[in-house]
Amino acid sequence: MNFPWFKRIGIFFIPAAIAGWIILLAGFAFAIYSFIDIDNRSHSVSDTMMNFVFMCLIIGAVYSLIAYVTSRVPKK
Amino acid sequence: METQNFEKKLTEMGKPEIHNLKHEDMLSRSIINAKDKSVVSWWWLSVPVFIILMLLMKSTFMPGTTLISNMHELESKQKFISLVFFLITPLILIIINVLTIRRIHFLSGGPKSFNFLEAVWFNILIIAVSALILIIYSL
Repeated sequence: MNFPWFKRIGIFFIPAAIAGWIILLAGFAFAIYSFIDIDNRSHSVSDTMMNFVFMCLIIGAVYSLIAYVTSRVPKK
Repeated sequence: METQNFEKKLTEMGKPEIHNLKHEDMLSRSIINAKDKSVVSWWWLSVPVFIILMLLMKSTFMPGTTLISNMHELESKQKFISLVFFLITPLILIIINVLTIRRIHFLSGGPKSFNFLEAVWFNILIIAVSALILIIYSL
């Protein structure tokens, strides 16, 4: 496997390889799925937004952890 | 003739210099690594901070409730989430960031300067916020 998959810009990890782009797209797909799921169960717009932002933060946290681990250049 | 040339070369050579010190390389790598770690810590810390802000908003708009009472309510309803985000995550983040600061302090030769604080201020901020979350959770 060719590391690094991501490079850090500010507080975001940007994909630098195809594997990184796949992980980012998977994260987006899961965020869209969770938005639809939350929207079906919620009673108001604020209810949807609060739960969706919470979900986005969890997705972001997991994504950043994966990106951090895979963005390290192996020692030679 | 050859001896003269050799002497001339010797005078021109001067001291051998190493431009890229291994220690310097290690220090710069550990500072970059610390910045990467602090970004990951910030993402993980944003979840409990968001929950606390939501509970704070709830306590503002619902009369008769406080942040602490809402926190206890959350703790009784969502035991696993509150344990993970209010106890385990801040504890792990404090340990990781303290070790990172200690490593940078050690590699940079134990300085007591402003430059050192400038390099690790984000890690210190994360430790402070994590400690605050632990205090709120323990109340």
